[in-house]
Amino acid sequence: MGKILYVQPEKCTGCRTCELTCSFLHTGEFNPLRSRISVVSFEKEGFFYPAVCQQCSPAPCMMVCPTGAISRNASTGAMEVNHEICIRCKMCMIACPFGATFYDERANQIIKCDLCGGDPACVKMCRGEALSFSSLNPAVGSKKRAAAAKIKEVLEEVR
Amino acid sequence: MKLIIDGREVSAYPGETILEVCRRENIFIPTLCYHPAFKGQGVCRMCMVELEDENGNRRMVASCTYPVQEGLKIVTFSAKIDKVRKNIIRLLASRAKGSDYIQDLAGQYGVEPLDLPGLDNEKCILCRLCVNACKLMGSSVLAAVWRGIDKKISTPYEEAAEECIGCAACYEVCPTGAIEMKEENGQRIIWNKVFNLVLCQHCGKAYATEEQIALVERKTGISLPALCEACRSQNLAGRLKNFSG
Ligand code: SF4
Ligand code: FES
Repeated sequence: MGKILYVQPEKCTGCRTCELTCSFLHTGEFNPLRSRISVVSFEKEGFFYPAVCQQCSPAPCMMVCPTGAISRNASTGAMEVNHEICIRCKMCMIACPFGATFYDERANQIIKCDLCGGDPACVKMCRGEALSFSSLNPAVGSKKRAAAAKIKEVLEEVR
Repeated sequence: MKLIIDGREVSAYPGETILEVCRRENIFIPTLCYHPAFKGQGVCRMCMVELEDENGNRRMVASCTYPVQEGLKIVTFSAKIDKVRKNIIRLLASRAKGSDYIQDLAGQYGVEPLDLPGLDNEKCILCRLCVNACKLMGSSVLAAVWRGIDKKISTPYEEAAEECIGCAACYEVCPTGAIEMKEENGQRIIWNKVFNLVLCQHCGKAYATEEQIALVERKTGISLPALCEACRSQNLAGRLKNFSG
């Protein structure tokens, strides 16, 4: 089974290092508006959720793309956008159940998490360990699995 | 298969066009009516290259439509090609007086547009990229109408077309900025059609047309909450918060 970018919101401190890391590595700029991961914050409650592409399968973004610009990278499992053939119809943004497909105005491009080609940089920079990159196989602790099941449940409800 | 491009041996796959091979090999060929999302159209002729036979005779072809063949000898730049391209740009710049993109191109190629009257606001070069985009989206409302100097791109009878979903993909692919789109007061106006934009239930942002959302729902079979992208992740986070709290 491929690895997934696993989010544990209860561990997120809302520091937004992931956003800066992401935008810097993809664009050379420290600009949260150009990041492919976006931290949703509930300041009062101290709850933060780093929203990022779930690399769905089947993926709604891929289903709606008229040009075939979105496809799954066979080795990383990431849904990737081929900017060359994208016509910026934004169907993928409308279709994304998680709001994790973005439009980068500066580059005039659709952007989304590409798992950094199989080694996500945000995970390495996350101090709170809210982000991890692992395969969710039976070897993973049951607590983690229970949390994953919870997230899955919520996500399915949203869809 | 092997080709010789500008004296260099290059590999190509059957079914590819000369232009596709050149792009992959980083050999620059200017284009106007080509977009990698669509098939080459052979409309603008900017992408002309020369093919050379065994006897050294050359003929010009449009690289965006010409399929590769084993041993093809291709010349991508010559005095003749340069002249053809300059002529094309001169004519397009004489027509599309209102397009900065085309006028800049004329400047780059050092050509003077002809002085033709009544074209000061014209931007369209009839490259048909918008027609292709519209077709791919499944709407197919754009086409070239009329003939000769009256030819233009339009919806049927220049009226608001029923199948138009207001996606603006045509606007996005147009290289010359010829397509007008206005967005104000929660409405999007394009090709004479007025769309009421759907407002995000949470923040009120106008984020898509009803028709776009209907198409997405039809294609995915998922019914979407009326939330913009940002509010969608916010909504999700809110639910997770309640779960963990
Ligand atoms: S915006 Fe680009 S990637 Fe997204 S659906 Fe349209 S063509 Fe595909
Ligand atoms: S790009 Fe080949 S004819 Fe226009």
